[in-house]
Amino acid sequence: MTKLTVNGKPVTVSSEPDTPLLWVLRDELDLKGAKYGCGIAQCGACTVLVSGQPVRSCSLAVGDIAGAEVTTIEGLGKDDPVQKAWIDIQVPQCGFCQPGQIMSAKGLLAENPKPDDAAIDAGMAGNLCRCGTYLRIRAAIKAASGQAA
Amino acid sequence: MNAPLNRRAFLATTGAFTLSFVVTPPAGAQNGAAAAWTAYLAIGADGRIHLHSPTTEMGQGTHTAHAAIIADEIGVPLAWVTVDTPEPSDPFRRGGQMGSGGSQGVRAWWDALRKVGASARQSLINAGAAKAKVPATEVSIVEGRLLRAGKPLMTLGEAARLAAAAPAVEGTPKDPKTYTIVGKSTPRVDIPAKVRGEPIFSSDFTLPGMVYACAVLSPVWTGKVAKLNDGPALAVKGVERVVAFDGGAAVVAKTQWAAMKGAQALEVSWASTAYDGLTSDAISAAMLMGLDKDAEAIGARNDDVTAAFAGAAKMVEADYEVPYIAHTPMEPFSVTLAPTADGGLELWGPFQTQDRNRGTAAKAAGLPVEKVRLHTLMLGGGFGRRLGDDGIPSAVAVVMALKKPVKVFWRREEEIGQGWYRPAQVARMKAALDKDGKLTAFHIRTAGPSMRDSFAPGGLPKGQIDGSSVQILPEILYKFPTYKIDWVRVDQVIPMAPWRAVGATQNGYFVESFIDEVAAAAGKDPVQLRRELLADNPRALKVIDAAAKAGDWDKPVPKGRARGFAFVYSFASLCAHVVEASLKDGVVTLHKVTCVIDCARVVTPDGARNQMEGGIVQGLSTALFEGIEVANGSCQNRNFDGYRIMRMNEAPKVIETIFIENDEPVLGGIGEPGLPPATPALVNALARLTGKPIRKLPISQALSQA
Repeated sequence: MTKLTVNGKPVTVSSEPDTPLLWVLRDELDLKGAKYGCGIAQCGACTVLVSGQPVRSCSLAVGDIAGAEVTTIEGLGKDDPVQKAWIDIQVPQCGFCQPGQIMSAKGLLAENPKPDDAAIDAGMAGNLCRCGTYLRIRAAIKAASGQAA
Repeated sequence: MNAPLNRRAFLATTGAFTLSFVVTPPAGAQNGAAAAWTAYLAIGADGRIHLHSPTTEMGQGTHTAHAAIIADEIGVPLAWVTVDTPEPSDPFRRGGQMGSGGSQGVRAWWDALRKVGASARQSLINAGAAKAKVPATEVSIVEGRLLRAGKPLMTLGEAARLAAAAPAVEGTPKDPKTYTIVGKSTPRVDIPAKVRGEPIFSSDFTLPGMVYACAVLSPVWTGKVAKLNDGPALAVKGVERVVAFDGGAAVVAKTQWAAMKGAQALEVSWASTAYDGLTSDAISAAMLMGLDKDAEAIGARNDDVTAAFAGAAKMVEADYEVPYIAHTPMEPFSVTLAPTADGGLELWGPFQTQDRNRGTAAKAAGLPVEKVRLHTLMLGGGFGRRLGDDGIPSAVAVVMALKKPVKVFWRREEEIGQGWYRPAQVARMKAALDKDGKLTAFHIRTAGPSMRDSFAPGGLPKGQIDGSSVQILPEILYKFPTYKIDWVRVDQVIPMAPWRAVGATQNGYFVESFIDEVAAAAGKDPVQLRRELLADNPRALKVIDAAAKAGDWDKPVPKGRARGFAFVYSFASLCAHVVEASLKDGVVTLHKVTCVIDCARVVTPDGARNQMEGGIVQGLSTALFEGIEVANGSCQNRNFDGYRIMRMNEAPKVIETIFIENDEPVLGGIGEPGLPPATPALVNALARLTGKPIRKLPISQALSQA
């Protein structure tokens, strides 16, 4: 049993402590927003926030984060500025990587509210997008942070 | 259960009325005689419209384009139209098959869907006019309301209720110039759910009581299980059983994680095969040997180039090579299967070829095809990988063994390692220049495996040419005075499928980078040489000139950078790119890509722009990094730590896209043609920086070996 706070709600999960957080979210809590893309922290599709930091949930054992606050794409507010920018800029194509991209962007913006291109590239380099929406992701992060593209 | 809104649900929840429309089938449809096209639309009592799109949505935006056509034809806001992909049936087939590919999603359905929309509009107007006892000619539909003389007459939902009781009539499609949604930057209908992270993908789909089955497939092509020790897998908490099938096994568990953990624990030894020693070097050597086999070359065009070659003032010759590359959609394969009460089978998955997958499932289950129901979910990327059906037989074997709902899934290692790849291919090119530097003859011979025969086994009898191996070459727009194309088939065991833009990717690279070599040999500017070869083609010249202008071709290049140019005609679109790049310590920086495309007409401009940007990034990714490494008869780089694709910090800083529109009768594609010029434009920029052509991809490997 591991206690967590997920999207603001306290939960006690029964998954084995060595279970990666990704599978606790998907299998046990039925939160399907974080995706499995590689299982080895290379693609970022599984990115969620743990205590405000973007993490690759596929490679983080739930037992190691007992008590932590976890935020997934489902936990963003109704009018989240990053999600709004993603829609305004029409970022997604297939969309599979985008929850992970958005959660990485949330983490980046929390740390650096006005990132320049280099900071965006550095902060987002861990998230792959096979459809190639990188330029729109850059533009959406700029828009969400109130900067001209 | 979280199925997307389907037709049944829509009908049940909205009390919708299904209209029957009579329209002419699109070109290529074989079932024209049936011609009762009843299946596309349902209109709710609230006027909301549900459209069955014949296409699979994988991010290319065809659902939005189709919704836009229907919304414009009927006269409703785009937001009133919802879209799904229906189960396969005749109205959604072309050439007897339902499927999405070849950048056909909008062009092939343009006429048909305009007629569907026009028929709906006219049927609604007639029904409303009859009820109100006014002439139909005085009634129109604007913003989802029936109007007469500018005044509201009836709601769309009310008209739909009346129209459903009467036979449908044909309508005349509107002049596309009067469309207010098509051709504008319409927001994509699938984006909000994707941004909210809703469970719309195959891997997210669940059924009550469903279990998970992690596939463990032979790493060696054609390999079979020699010995299976399922004890360690069964010892994993949550694992229920192990099901063996042809070519591997699946570990079945209550949760996806337990299935994966069980798969890691499973002990399998594989029977030896004839391919256990296959390597990338052996594949290269076999293809290069093929180039020398004159007797085996099959011609796609056979001008006599011997005289021009003999009389040439200068010959330019080079061999080029590309490796097998993987599609790597971000979502690894999965499919959910359930037995039905009547002894049939139901599947939910990422299908790009619905009839092929349904037929394969029926055959594997020993069922008549009518007993198999197939539901298409949103694809987490396709790029051609989901055109196949290779995951189906083993998945059916699993559900047949379990007799209960199961999601069979592949890990990333299977997704890449068991890919159906873009073929490896080599090309030998020869060009003759006369004493004035004029190109007088061009010969390209390619050698490699037949993708077509692998993708549809038996599809290409020996001695015939695989059109995909020479794709774009016969219809090339350059006017070579004499021109010879041939191909030598050199098969391998490695499976293949169309990969975004198919043969245009490798052949576009071969020709366009070699043309730059020819220009250098002739002492000409590369764009000038292309202009000369296109002198009698004003449409192509317009694209070339627009790209050169927007890409600053004639302006000085910032220090340390170079520009490369490429032009490829594929999928009926003309596309030119200028890539501005620099190179430092072996690392390429992409400063700007300028893209000009003439696809005749753009249905959803912003969606089309996104397709260009994505195609460019993907093309540059393949050029720089990609290739499967074959050793011991298997793919060695089976995850993203070894199979490298472009990351954001490596992507172009700027992509500028310009569309050229005109009244050409044939619509060009959008999903694929933006990709092929990207690779050669980058290679050509780097060749200008280093003074050396890059004749073997990926570039990162070529640079590290230089």
